[in-house]
Amino acid sequence: MAYQKIVSSGAVYKGKTGMWLYIFHRITGVALFGYLILHIISTALILLGPEVYEGAEAIYKNFYFRIAEIGLMAAILAHAINGLRIIAVDLWKRGSEFQKQLNIISLVLFIAIFIPSTYKMTTSYFDICLEKSQAGTTLTDCMIRPLPDWKSK
Amino acid sequence: MSTRTDWGRREPPLKGSNFELYGWFFMRISGLLLVLLAVGHMFIMHVFNDTLNLDYEFVAARWDTPYWRIFDWLLLTLSLLHGTNGLRVVLHDNLNDLTIRKLALSALYGTSLIFFILGTYVIIAFVSQS
Repeated sequence: MAYQKIVSSGAVYKGKTGMWLYIFHRITGVALFGYLILHIISTALILLGPEVYEGAEAIYKNFYFRIAEIGLMAAILAHAINGLRIIAVDLWKRGSEFQKQLNIISLVLFIAIFIPSTYKMTTSYFDICLEKSQAGTTLTDCMIRPLPDWKSK
Repeated sequence: MSTRTDWGRREPPLKGSNFELYGWFFMRISGLLLVLLAVGHMFIMHVFNDTLNLDYEFVAARWDTPYWRIFDWLLLTLSLLHGTNGLRVVLHDNLNDLTIRKLALSALYGTSLIFFILGTYVIIAFVSQS
């Protein structure tokens, strides 16, 4: 019974990578649920018309939120790929024999998808910012402005 | 080499209910679908398009076809169910006080239900004003 209590009352047990991935999966899961709720609220504003909806969306269009979006991408990708790893361990007959390999494949897969996505999300931010701003706007301007003022175009 | 596979296994419930088994299985199935739906949604919105270009027109054009409304509703429903079940397990594991646990679970189910109704209403009721 003492053993039973240890394994079921907390997130930390004497595991290694598997234990940390388990904790990581829960943290990203809870964070993504929180974001999902916020996202439903901001999207629901579309029923109130273009002004209200785009006014709310404007809050998301600064550089600080772009960094948050890259974090969101990381959380989604990591949760998805780790979820696939869990499915492989659980449902593939020999999954538990190849846990180390599966961990490495998951990490490689994450990096292979996350790095190009981040590159695109970063360069595209500056491209659009420069394109929609007046001549003379610098990359620093794109980063420090609190809210974009290019909506009129 | 013998491999132990019973780490962390709990005592089976006395009365036979398969709810937790179905819950476990549901997380795998909805998880697989969400890899397509949620990761697909992220790539469509953030990589192939850019959220800087997201405006009323974009959503109106998207929801002009029923297919995207169905896509978005499936994404809404599955992510809420997957997230609610995941949080249910997290709360069960981390809250030992039964009263607090019950309160937290009720708040969770209430929140999920409200946001499911709100999201479904928005996807069905949206009519473009432009």
